[in-house]
Amino acid sequence: MQISYSKNEEKFRDKVRLWLKENVSDEIKDQTLGGSSLDTELMVKWHKKLYQKGWVAPEIDKKWGGSGFSQTENFIFGYEYARSGAPRLKTKLIAIGMLTPLLLQFGTKEQQERFIPDMISGEIQWAQGYSEPDAGSDLANLSTEAVLDGDDFIVNGQKIWTSMADYAHWMFMLVRTDTSGKKQQGISFLLVDLKSPGITIRPTEALTDHEPFCEVFFDNVRVPKENLVGKINEGWNIAKVLLEHERLNAFPVGEVIAALEIVVKNAEKINFRGKPLLEDPVFRRKLAVLDVDCKAFLYTFFRILSKLQSGSAPGPETSFLKAYGAELYQRVMDLSIEVMGPYGQSWYNLKEYGNPVHQATMGWVNARSLTIWGGASEIQRTIIATQVLKLPRK
Amino acid sequence: MDLEITREHLMLQDSARDFIKKEHSFDRLRELKKEPPLKYSRKVWKKMAKLDWLGLIYPEEYNGAQMDLSYAMALLEEFGRGMLPEPWISTVLLGGNLILSGGSKEQKKNFLPKIASGKLLMTLAYLEDGGRYDPNFCAAGAKKSGENFSISGKKIFVLDGSGADKIVVSARTSGAVDDREGITLFIIDKNADGLKIRPVKTMDGRNAASIDLNEVMVSEGDIIGEVDHGYNLMCDVIDQATAGLCAEMIGGMKATLNLTVRHLSDRIQFGKHLGSFQALQHKSADMLINQELAISAVYYAMASMVEKSDERVSAVSIAKAKCSHAYIENTKIAIQLFGAFGFTNEADIGFFFKRAKVAEILFGDCDYHYDRYLTLNRPLS
Ligand SMILES: Cc1cc2nc3c(=O)[nH]c(=O)nc-3n(C[C@H](O)[C@H](O)[C@H](O)COP(=O)(O)OP(=O)(O)OC[C@H]3O[C@@H](n4cnc5c(N)ncnc54)[C@H](O)[C@@H]3O)c2cc1C
Repeated sequence: MQISYSKNEEKFRDKVRLWLKENVSDEIKDQTLGGSSLDTELMVKWHKKLYQKGWVAPEIDKKWGGSGFSQTENFIFGYEYARSGAPRLKTKLIAIGMLTPLLLQFGTKEQQERFIPDMISGEIQWAQGYSEPDAGSDLANLSTEAVLDGDDFIVNGQKIWTSMADYAHWMFMLVRTDTSGKKQQGISFLLVDLKSPGITIRPTEALTDHEPFCEVFFDNVRVPKENLVGKINEGWNIAKVLLEHERLNAFPVGEVIAALEIVVKNAEKINFRGKPLLEDPVFRRKLAVLDVDCKAFLYTFFRILSKLQSGSAPGPETSFLKAYGAELYQRVMDLSIEVMGPYGQSWYNLKEYGNPVHQATMGWVNARSLTIWGGASEIQRTIIATQVLKLPRK
Repeated sequence: MDLEITREHLMLQDSARDFIKKEHSFDRLRELKKEPPLKYSRKVWKKMAKLDWLGLIYPEEYNGAQMDLSYAMALLEEFGRGMLPEPWISTVLLGGNLILSGGSKEQKKNFLPKIASGKLLMTLAYLEDGGRYDPNFCAAGAKKSGENFSISGKKIFVLDGSGADKIVVSARTSGAVDDREGITLFIIDKNADGLKIRPVKTMDGRNAASIDLNEVMVSEGDIIGEVDHGYNLMCDVIDQATAGLCAEMIGGMKATLNLTVRHLSDRIQFGKHLGSFQALQHKSADMLINQELAISAVYYAMASMVEKSDERVSAVSIAKAKCSHAYIENTKIAIQLFGAFGFTNEADIGFFFKRAKVAEILFGDCDYHYDRYLTLNRPLS
């Protein structure tokens, strides 16, 4: 047991910190701090810059264009990255966090070579086609079907809530290839070019008044057989492994802590009864609770990291990282909007009131989705109860 | 002791429900959202006047229906349930009510019939930067100049401020920035020289305004009540509006729970209705508990308002603290139980979620009212 980093790790941290300090521009920070995403043009520019530095995919091998960091380095990097105000890459969660490790584990050599480098360079953006109208939490209930016809699958059905489908070039998706046995047994994992004929994409407006996700309709869409990942009807296992990656990557602890730091900065500037709010005892007490909870969350990451370093895989424990991280982030955003006082009711008055107010209100609304996607909090708790605590299911 | 509402209240609520069914829908809200800056319609407002709702609490001699505040609250509960966005609280319970409670005969004659007939919209501007929710924090100053006063300063988040014809503004005529004495209430016309009204959007899709006053000239005839002594009058009226808002909030909570129960009864996952999962049953039960406690606090506040009991200020703070907490909490749970659909603008539940946030903040959030409650009931010696 040891709490300090080694000399080398410290050096590494300083190097990362310095580079980010020099390269994350004020323009970027202005948009990102508080948890919202960057406008597209800036994002593309930033992705290029980070790619040139070799830091787009920290945990992926250098041979693919990744950084080849160790687990600890990866953690340090993620933490420093989030705290610096650098934007979360559009490819981060779906393409690099989920699909890349999955292709490395289950994909063919051809699939790896064809897709991974372009994903990391940012050339090709990906969407995740899991959910359907009748298959949300009950993912195995999905019914979008793929039928083999010569060298192609023919896909018919509908996906829903597909993030970035209107922006992405490709989508990985779960399809039903067999209806005879148990639901989980007839599912396959396909890679689909979103420009294929027969695909219709319709954006859905969220509570943020943005359109972060879409409905995607498939009408006799032909998908070449070689775009199947793993074996036919064995997609469920792949899907589950992927969800564990999603959960582990969903809440970089640095982002939660960075969000709390922004709350503190705002509380310094806002006056309440003649003093900065930061000096108000009621506010301080609330801040202390969140600060302590963030620290305990951070130490939990340290513990899991230690486990990963000794070679164990992430398991059902990732469920509590996801559930707790999402709820902690929501509580931070609750405080962030509370700090604003009457300004907390503002909506899209960016010119009038500036970024901190805008970020707090948008971030607060957006935070509600965190306990829904990537396995809702209720589902995570069921996983903890049944798989970690082994409580009886019936 | 009687904390139930009467048959007359229920009849008023029935007619409000019919009206809302006929004149209003969530799709109307989606349309109104696109129309800057007003997020309600003067046409619907006129129809409300025909039903005597705009003069509901004003005396008959000013064309009012002469009902007490409990009827206003009964009506507002329905507005909250149906999400009616018309500016009833700002015009009837703030602007007009200030005149009713503290205005001269002349002012009452001038303004109240016009409000009752739907011709005049009013509001109150009292919040300032640096004062958070405190009505005594007032840096905007009114300087005597001859027979008139010249007002300069800035007010923020003026409720429905970008559509109001007249704005009552609190301004300091003496004392330090947070003194209770020395505040005077002035009626200012929306077209007054030196007044700049900047519309701002609020999360619930309605409007507010920031207003800048730059040597706005007001005559003595446009003062409500006495010079330097506007504070108590203003607070009493804000408390009545707060109680009204609380009634709106319980209407919103009831609708939220209804929508949620319906969703849990309709949606099937894992081969079962969502409502059959115990985790979700318990969450909806929590919503009911939150709601019922809030209702009790609101009814108590209502009764103490109507009786003008000494407890009323404290009772309003209890009600608003409970509602501020319960409404937002319940809508958060509702969104969660709706899943991704709850996170879209296609679902009606989102309107309640965003209204709950604005309502939580209006007239002071939980902390403001906890603090006010303690200061009243357990003062430090
Ligand atoms: C912002 C956002 C982005 C998304 N992006 C994507 C994406 O890119 N790709 C994709 O495939 N999907 C995406 N999703 C969809 C997401 O995966 C689903 O919302 C999630 O799986 C929940 O499904 P649902 O929305 O149908 O809710 P439901 O499954 O209907 O659940 C509703 C509520 O019931 C609860 N519940 C359900 N079953 C049980 C049970 N057995 N016991 C207790 N409680 C239960 C849930 O926890 C939830 O609170 C996204 C969602 C959001 C909000």
